[in-house]
Amino acid sequence: MKRNITTTINGEARELAVETFHSLLDALRNAAGLTGTKKGCDVGDCGACTVILDGAPVCACLVLAAETDGCNVTTIEGLQSAPGSLHPLQESFMMLGGAQCGFCTPGILMMAKALLDENPNPTDDEIRFGIAGNICRCTGYTKIIDAIRDAAVQLRQEAKGGGKS
Amino acid sequence: MSERQKFNVIGKSVKRSDMLEKVTGAARYAGDLTLPGMLHGKLKRCEIAHANIKRIDTSKALALAGVKAVLTHKDVPHVLHYGSPHPRSASVTKDQYILDTKVRYWGEAVAAVAATTEDIADEAIRLIEVEYEALPAAITLDDAMAAGAPVIHDNGLEGNRVVPDMLFKRGDVEKGFAEADIIIEGNYAVGRPQPAYMEPNVCVAQWDGSDKLTLWTSTQSAFMVRGTLAEVLGLPLGKVRVLCDHMGGGFGAKQDLFQHEFLCALLSRQTRRPVRMEYSRKECFLGGRSRHPGTIWLKQGFKRDGTITARAAKVVFDSGAYGSHAPGVTAVGASALTSLFRCENVHLEGKCVYTNTPIAGAFRGYGVVQTYYALDIQIDEAAEKLGMDPAELKLKTAVREGDIAPSGHAIVGHGLEDCIREGMKAVGWKERPVGCGSAAYRTVSPADGAVRADALPHPTSKKVRGWGIGCEMHGSSAYPGIKEQGNALVNLNEDGSATLLTGAAGLGTGAHTALCQIVAEELGLEFEAVSVVHGDTDIVPWDIGAFASHTTYMVGTAAKMAAAEIKQKLLARAADQLEVSAGDLEVEGGFIGVRGVPGRGISVRDCVAPKLGIPAAHLFGSGTYMPTKSYSFGAHFVEVEVDTGTGQIDVLQVVPVHEIGKVIHPIAAAGQIEGGIQQGIGHTLTENHEIDPKTGRSLNANFVDYKMPLSMDMPDIKTIILETAPDPGGPWGAKGVGEDPIIAIGPAIANAIYDATGVRFRHYPITPEQVLEGLARRRHV
Repeated sequence: MKRNITTTINGEARELAVETFHSLLDALRNAAGLTGTKKGCDVGDCGACTVILDGAPVCACLVLAAETDGCNVTTIEGLQSAPGSLHPLQESFMMLGGAQCGFCTPGILMMAKALLDENPNPTDDEIRFGIAGNICRCTGYTKIIDAIRDAAVQLRQEAKGGGKS
Repeated sequence: MSERQKFNVIGKSVKRSDMLEKVTGAARYAGDLTLPGMLHGKLKRCEIAHANIKRIDTSKALALAGVKAVLTHKDVPHVLHYGSPHPRSASVTKDQYILDTKVRYWGEAVAAVAATTEDIADEAIRLIEVEYEALPAAITLDDAMAAGAPVIHDNGLEGNRVVPDMLFKRGDVEKGFAEADIIIEGNYAVGRPQPAYMEPNVCVAQWDGSDKLTLWTSTQSAFMVRGTLAEVLGLPLGKVRVLCDHMGGGFGAKQDLFQHEFLCALLSRQTRRPVRMEYSRKECFLGGRSRHPGTIWLKQGFKRDGTITARAAKVVFDSGAYGSHAPGVTAVGASALTSLFRCENVHLEGKCVYTNTPIAGAFRGYGVVQTYYALDIQIDEAAEKLGMDPAELKLKTAVREGDIAPSGHAIVGHGLEDCIREGMKAVGWKERPVGCGSAAYRTVSPADGAVRADALPHPTSKKVRGWGIGCEMHGSSAYPGIKEQGNALVNLNEDGSATLLTGAAGLGTGAHTALCQIVAEELGLEFEAVSVVHGDTDIVPWDIGAFASHTTYMVGTAAKMAAAEIKQKLLARAADQLEVSAGDLEVEGGFIGVRGVPGRGISVRDCVAPKLGIPAAHLFGSGTYMPTKSYSFGAHFVEVEVDTGTGQIDVLQVVPVHEIGKVIHPIAAAGQIEGGIQQGIGHTLTENHEIDPKTGRSLNANFVDYKMPLSMDMPDIKTIILETAPDPGGPWGAKGVGEDPIIAIGPAIANAIYDATGVRFRHYPITPEQVLEGLARRRHV
């Protein structure tokens, strides 16, 4: 049985018809047409589908779509503030080798955003802990950690009004 | 190639051509595609390891509303084919049907469904009834090789052999062993790690009005998929188009053609609608491809000075239910033992055997991971017996320039020695803290001749530390197993930019960026002026697939040749326009200048299109390159900490040193190394696809029970890349790097554990329970 929900996705109120037993992940990928969020396991083990739901990172595969009626969801497609204006995390991942095959990347970027929103100046151990639920099979995490650390510096400079170095 | 050649584009970590799409979520993977009217396919998988199918009843499934088609073995072409798509090479064997009347492993597909939704397809799968006639199963290698073992494939070979046994020999091992001062012999065993690519296998099939099949699929080998699909489905090649834009990893396994790719195409043909089929994560374990588990018996003779006088080995690999890459993996793995550490007299036997377990296939390191694990650990064992430092013994015996490599070629340069020396320097090997292992070489300790007190565990600490070194070499290209070919086409556009067309897959390694860098460098353009078209078998030149560390090496050379052809045409045009000799011209940053006359020249754009926007000529270049082989080298230095109370092993730091010739993109190259180390740590310590030895059932086909190293587990890695042994066969001396890093890390960890604990492990994965058992045994000795 389908249910109509209204969920704000990346700032836009979206009216979606979803099966009551479907996940937010399937709703995003199919009903909303936002395929940037990836399905790596569908059971909450890999983190590839991480999105930000009302300010908190979640595995979209573990949330029922119907539960998000009236909620705010940010996906990878909403990470940049405007076309051509990337989030510092996106810049850092591009320049420092934070992505290889790119399949875990949307989830890791969203998890990293949630981490830096909460803790703008994380230690490397805190970064490792922050993305502990996100499986990356390509990079060995070294360059992901470099990229998050670098983006944190940029964000702190921006917050101080210093802009990008 | 001049040593001091100045490079403008290669050797720099330019922004990768695929990155913007990947960080914005815009990158399109095969599974992201939706087509109008698209159906969803699912596979029915068996839950028995070995059986004949007596009866399949699909009537209930077909009666379910929304079900559009059900296929069983009765409905599909019964054509024997290669599971791995190198149909004309010696590395594969022809033993698969799309669907057979028999199942050979728990989890093999027996039927396929297409329905209007995934949920209906799932329900339909449950409604298919299959009656089996159970057959005795051979789950383990011992089962399969025993007298009277069940026959898995009736190929006329005894003992469930996939192919006849192989032998690689040189010199006289008997004489070599007779000359040895010490002989070391051991049995080594390797587990069943999975590639665990993040993107599950997925494809979408569609037939058009002209009966042409288009398949979007996550594959490393689009042209091989095209060829095999055409052959098995009885279609002309021109009626099959295979597309793959981005893919979420493959690590070798996605070279094979999987059951769902055939079945998705057939479901789509029958329903006349597009069909999408995606493996669940569990299906990636069951229906995917693992590394080959197996056993290696290894015996070597040594002189007192460390010279290796003889090496004999028996390598037995478990291919699982089908041959896939077993012949190639066995040949490459066994023949690798002819090299790495020099030995004149070798006698190496290779055997690959079917069992009733999920299929083993190609996986980064291709047989060499397993055999060098045994070889490197045994050299460590020898060092102890000889009273030598293991790094010194490895350096002394390291393969060097002019030695004959496993491929039959002479080694170029001294890459392995360079890696060992550089790593010893970087970690301060000779001054390293002394582990608690009882290795004899420890009796001669650094500096003061006594064990350093600060290296011993604190009296109240239960944690001990140790260092290990592991070595490897791996070929770029699959020669001589496969006579490969790399192709490239480059078009020059009217604005002076260039477009590279390549069949090389976008596996995620950054290879397309490297290819664009090579074209830009050769053609004298900025990197940003070169774009790449790939992933469509109707458009791009033929490619054998992305594997064997060969894309940058082989396709890179083809791309350089293509760019050179355009450059020649371009300079001829510019010479006319400028009324100078072409030999006096050079191109840099998109400007064709007259050498020695600053400012005189013409931009590439004006040369190509004097009338703005209209090219004066179609300037293109093509390159075809058939490589032989080069070898890259590596030595990994690892420090581990072992908790003697829990058996927990922590890899504290890794210093990998790799010699890979000219580096095209330093960050991408380092990324390959660090990712390979992650997978190798997993292989060595935690990763093993467990198969119940009684039933053949998978016990851990998910990411919780199959444990990979994640961000909290990964050590610091201080990557060192050397360019000391460039190969004349690669662009500016570049060689491959993809396969190498997964090989040396395993033995380095095992050797470090020995250094820390005095317990020698000759298998992987090494679990905490085994560490505790080993420590208990050692205390009793």
